[in-house]
Amino acid sequence: MRNSAPALESAVVPSRAGGLGRGKTRGKLRSIGVRYGFTLPALAIYSVFLIYPAFRTVRLSLTNWDGIAPTWRHVGLKNYDRLLQNDIFHLALKNTLIWSVAIIVVPCTLGLFLAVALNEEFRGRAVFRTIFYAPGVLPLVGVALIWGWIYNPQFGFLNQFLIKIGLESLSQPWLCQPSTALWATIVAGVWVRTGFPMLIYLAALQAIPKELFEAARIDGARGWRVFRDITFPQLGPTHVVVVALSVIDSLKVFDLIYAMTYGGPGNDTQVIGTWVYFNIFNFNKAGYGSAIAVVGASISLLIGIPYVLFQARK
Amino acid sequence: MVEASPAVDSAFVYHRRRRIRPMRIVAYGTLVLLAATWLVPIAVVIMTSLRSEADFSQNGAISLPSSLTFDSYRRAWDVGHFETIYRNSFLITVIKVPIGVLIAALCAYALTKLRLRLATPMLVILLIGLTVPAYVTLLPIFILLRNLGLIDTLWGLIPPYVAFGLAFEILILRAYFRSIPDELIEAARLDGATELGIFFRIVAPLSLPALAALCIIDAVGTWNEFLIALTVLSSEDHFTIPLGLRNFQGLFTTEHTALNAAILLAIGPLLILYLVLQRYIVSGLTTGSLKG
Repeated sequence: MRNSAPALESAVVPSRAGGLGRGKTRGKLRSIGVRYGFTLPALAIYSVFLIYPAFRTVRLSLTNWDGIAPTWRHVGLKNYDRLLQNDIFHLALKNTLIWSVAIIVVPCTLGLFLAVALNEEFRGRAVFRTIFYAPGVLPLVGVALIWGWIYNPQFGFLNQFLIKIGLESLSQPWLCQPSTALWATIVAGVWVRTGFPMLIYLAALQAIPKELFEAARIDGARGWRVFRDITFPQLGPTHVVVVALSVIDSLKVFDLIYAMTYGGPGNDTQVIGTWVYFNIFNFNKAGYGSAIAVVGASISLLIGIPYVLFQARK
Repeated sequence: MVEASPAVDSAFVYHRRRRIRPMRIVAYGTLVLLAATWLVPIAVVIMTSLRSEADFSQNGAISLPSSLTFDSYRRAWDVGHFETIYRNSFLITVIKVPIGVLIAALCAYALTKLRLRLATPMLVILLIGLTVPAYVTLLPIFILLRNLGLIDTLWGLIPPYVAFGLAFEILILRAYFRSIPDELIEAARLDGATELGIFFRIVAPLSLPALAALCIIDAVGTWNEFLIALTVLSSEDHFTIPLGLRNFQGLFTTEHTALNAAILLAIGPLLILYLVLQRYIVSGLTTGSLKG
């Protein structure tokens, strides 16, 4: 490495280019090699363990492979055709969308209001911030167990609390009945996901020039009007970041559902992630499961790529 | 009102109003109530774990323990194979995080500071990794690792973990590296430093706060990863904490206090880490997403 330094210099710093003809070109090529070399480990591991597997899944989705047998047949788009007619796939898709919309709307709104509240100076605001983000660092399987325990029909906090305040009629098996199971997991999701938008909004709020608020106050604007006319519009790009990251994250939902309900009762809380996993690894339908994965990933990419381009251009 | 100093004056009025506005009391009350609600799930787990099984079945979840006992922790530690799962999670984290952050830092540095002609397309391709759900890669990763003889080993987790961590790490580091002045790098080049030398002696030390923040966030993510571990690992001796956690409900079907002690043993280290290193986690998360 050391003795390549002069060559590099001549390539990068034009004023010092002392070499003649061939030497200069070789130095330049070498410099390009070194500079691209920095990206090589990342690109190599990324290609082998992310890009290649993703494309292989696309190919497997066109086969009837069971995941075990040494051979398989190409069946064209048959898996996709079956998928479109399958009720559980529709349900999983619908649940994923409900989950995502809920996890965008509730935590982002709540996070924004918390950030606005915590942006004021008052005693103990750091403690509030700590509390609201804390669930965000926990393993989701742990979160699933914590909430599974809260929802426990017999011993859980929720039902016992309802009984204690005289609303015994409302106590029910939250995770074991179709009418409440998905919403029960969403509540746990909100608990985990509210801290992140709050942190991002809080950081963005601190970057808004104080003069803007002062000016508004002098003009007599208060409370809600300051929020509507100054705070909210000033957070423009932040809304994009927060919403995009929430969508990207929530479309991947797997851990919470898998560990809380295992897709049940029946298949009522099945989401794309769990339905892919069950088909490939539990039902030996590798080809079919891959097709579900491809559809799910396509939705994620479709929504995620504009955000990626937005970030890369900045 | 004194006309000469409108700003000072209005600030003064504002302060006085602020103190008496009932809206503020309502807002503060709501905040306290919400924070209390946020704490309930963890408080319930802590309270259940600290009492005896008999006490719990007699008095239920909403009551203070009649006496404190750590028996359920001892029980949970043994039944939950905590020695094994702690060791495995610890190993995988201390191996994966430095490798992943180093590889990402080299790449992010080249993409921001070395004027590569293909920098933007490469960046876009790498950042797309943020949006790719792991489930679309699981089966091929499984086959790949089996062919490499790495299935059901901790080593096998490292390459996919690194691959899936890159996008976020590069996003954060890019934001940070861009704030390093180009002149510093040019000056080092003029002094005859090699490109790697510049990275390790100048850029890396300057970026220490960002690298530290990233290592912590990455450690939390690695420690918590579930889906890939679920796919790759099958024998209990190799389980990480999230995989161990998944088995708890089955292991402690009738031992409610031990179940809660086990949950707390699994999440406790993270909560403590978070309380101590919060500053870094917050700064890391916000730089990457906002300044990116």
